[in-house]
Amino acid sequence: MAATDRTYRSIRGALSAACALAGVGGVATSRATDVETAILGYAEPNRVSALETVLQARHDFGSGYLGNFKVVYDALTGASASGAVPGAAVQTFTRPSGRGSYSTAPGETPLDDTFRDARVAVSGGLTLPLGRLSTATAGLYGSGEHDYTSMGANASIARDFDRRNRTLNAGVSFSRDTVTPEGGRPIPFASMTPVGADLPRLAGDGSKNVADAMLGLVQVIDRATLVQLTYSLSRVTGYQTDPYKLVSVVDPTSGAPVDQLFENRPDARTKHILFGRAKRQLPHGVVDLSYRFMTDDWGIVSHTLELRDRLELGGDKYLQPHVRFYHQSAADFYARWLLDGAALPDHATADYRLGAFDGWTFGLEHGRNVGRDHRVTARVEYYRQSGDGHPAGAPGDLASFDLFPVVDAWIFQLGYSFGS
Amino acid sequence: MRQRNRSIIAAGAVLALSLFGGCASLGVQPWERDLLAQRSMRLDGDPVTAALDEHIYFSKEASTGGAGFGGGGCGCN
Repeated sequence: MAATDRTYRSIRGALSAACALAGVGGVATSRATDVETAILGYAEPNRVSALETVLQARHDFGSGYLGNFKVVYDALTGASASGAVPGAAVQTFTRPSGRGSYSTAPGETPLDDTFRDARVAVSGGLTLPLGRLSTATAGLYGSGEHDYTSMGANASIARDFDRRNRTLNAGVSFSRDTVTPEGGRPIPFASMTPVGADLPRLAGDGSKNVADAMLGLVQVIDRATLVQLTYSLSRVTGYQTDPYKLVSVVDPTSGAPVDQLFENRPDARTKHILFGRAKRQLPHGVVDLSYRFMTDDWGIVSHTLELRDRLELGGDKYLQPHVRFYHQSAADFYARWLLDGAALPDHATADYRLGAFDGWTFGLEHGRNVGRDHRVTARVEYYRQSGDGHPAGAPGDLASFDLFPVVDAWIFQLGYSFGS
Repeated sequence: MRQRNRSIIAAGAVLALSLFGGCASLGVQPWERDLLAQRSMRLDGDPVTAALDEHIYFSKEASTGGAGFGGGGCGCN
């Protein structure tokens, strides 16, 4: 996850510098250092819960030199859908480590309750001027959790045009991630084994390389309006299988699970992303509207539409409703189940995050100044994922089970910042 | 589907190029930046919240990035 944060912040840094030069964002600092902190709680009832803390500092060294530093700590615990289908009888699953097991009641979605992890991510970057109209930004990133590490670097440039009304950005990033799963990496499509039995494993750790390139444009439209357009290309190569996820093999007639196989994903993925955003100052405050289109060679197409409407309440206070809609189609190799006796496909996953679903987010944020240049914020959000729980062709018992139960999540966040 | 995706990407590219190359009437004079200069108009006005959201959606959906880069991964389950 951290690699995303890293690269995301990298280009944000570049944009910030570009906007500062352009006067687009009005980054007229009254202090040399900005510090932002936040604590976030995330809870899915009966599933995962997480706590995340962030400290970010940005310092203006003068003469166009900007530095930033960020550290994140998060802890996660709870249960996650394993990918296996519900059954008409109690099902028992071996934990990913091979030590211990958990059971699932009839008709219930199998949830692996093993997960408990903590992650630390550290990143930093430096922006420097290249002449009067351009800036360059470079950054490093690293994160670690007990079964996953990520290290990366990024670089970007930005140049202003047309009286600083237009800024063009370009950037690249590269990271290398390594996964060392509990119990090792299962051989793709190997059957889950009983507790204590030897599960066939792949040798060594799993690693993947992530290379991203981005081209972006920020344009001032008029005195109250900005637009941003960005195209991103991302290429991921290496081990992308989730070593903890299963795919059930079911009887073609009864639908009863007869085997549980470890999933298998392709080792290469190319993504194209188009992103557009507009911000406009209206009498009541700022409206922020964005749309993202993503397509990849796994067959996934997604659309994301997001709206924030900031209502100024006077006295340096605001209220900001937030609505987000997300839709994605399923990966070509997504299979909620496999049929016993049929030939295995080249790849298969039952991870619902690679299935087709809709996601809705509704949120509300309140912010206010507390003293000069000190701000506090609080927000609450509700996120809901829903997909087709009764897909066509479900054999036997599966037709009566909900194969894509709704996922609900609540998000709470408190923030404190000072500086410009 | 792939053909339609290519068309959407091409349309976006044309839009970006037209915005970049033409439309000389766009923009403001330096003394007209009062509203644009407000913090609430910054594109990176709330980077911590943006990064936290990105983390959440990265772990729950198959799409990442957009405003900046998409990225690698985590052990998110």
